[in-house]
Amino acid sequence: MVQINLPQNSKIQKGEYYKDKTGSKNIRKVNIYRWDPSTKENPRIDTYEVDMDNCPSKVLDILNKIKNEIDPSLAYRRSCSHGVCGSCAMNMDGKNGLACTKSHSEIKGDINIYPLPHLKVLKDLIGDLSILYKQYESIEPWLKTSNIKEDKENIQSRPDRAKLDGLYECIMCACCSTSCPSYWWNGDKYLGPAVLLQAYRWIMDSRDQDRKERLKKVADELKLYRCHTIMNCTNACPKGLNPAKAIASIKKMLATG
Amino acid sequence: MKDNNPLSPHIQIYNWHISSLVSISHRITGVINIIAVILIFFWIASLFLGTDNYKVVFSFLNSYLGKFLMIGITWSFSFQILSEVRHWFWDMGYGFELKTSRISGLFVIFGSFLLSIVIYLFGRNIF
Repeated sequence: MVQINLPQNSKIQKGEYYKDKTGSKNIRKVNIYRWDPSTKENPRIDTYEVDMDNCPSKVLDILNKIKNEIDPSLAYRRSCSHGVCGSCAMNMDGKNGLACTKSHSEIKGDINIYPLPHLKVLKDLIGDLSILYKQYESIEPWLKTSNIKEDKENIQSRPDRAKLDGLYECIMCACCSTSCPSYWWNGDKYLGPAVLLQAYRWIMDSRDQDRKERLKKVADELKLYRCHTIMNCTNACPKGLNPAKAIASIKKMLATG
Repeated sequence: MKDNNPLSPHIQIYNWHISSLVSISHRITGVINIIAVILIFFWIASLFLGTDNYKVVFSFLNSYLGKFLMIGITWSFSFQILSEVRHWFWDMGYGFELKTSRISGLFVIFGSFLLSIVIYLFGRNIF
């Protein structure tokens, strides 16, 4: 259901202000969404003054700097810091992306950092993605074959392999799904761009023998056709993939048989 | 426990893109057009009720509010037509690249105003 306003317990309050203590002249204000599950308080926005003279180029570097030098209580997910693992997906400057690949020099003015939109917050910048993972499981993202001999290689031709380009690179960071208004309003039923891109990836795999069943399963008013080509997904993808096009391709396959 | 967890902000903080703006406008103009078509039927019906009834409608449509409404509806239809053409291309599988979709979105926005002006000038027999 469309619900524009945030629920009462999610309304954002003004938080604390951490003044710069280094005496640096190159200061940027960083506003970060905070919520502590151990208190009963509403979420708040804390503001940090960060010394940019001693800070590397990415937004994740700012977060690390704040956690190491200003406020160790800040919680966020991160791992590889090279745009491969998808852990540090968050909303920066009004757009979803990976903190480790987003340069802070691209952002004008104060830097606003929120968790991925429309998720249950676990702590600070960490959102609960368990529904998305369940949906991912529901499309059975593995190769399904019935009559392949186990002692022989299951070969794929080069052109067939090329069909998976632009699909297999997805790191499931959830930037696209959580940028999608349709997924905000119908996230419990609509599969969302990330999962549909993966559904398409397995439909397109020449080695898979379950293609018809896969198409039949995804052909659903809510699972698939809640996509209204808003294109926020493609705009958000930090890997430059095109979930909107993949969803359209599934629709086209279903329409043309 | 999960129910007590707050919901992260969404539409309040998310940037608008051309494609999302055109998408929501497509919906809004769609609703306006349905209402407009109903009003147009009432307008035609008023013809059958005789001159006096038609005069009321006629004078309303010639008032500033009436003219504003008619021009607004013209724009709404123009927008819907162009946006629908964009959707046809999408349904055929074309135009999903970010750059293309941005250009086609801008084309819909500016084109809708241009088309309204053209229709208006046609209506005034300027061509």
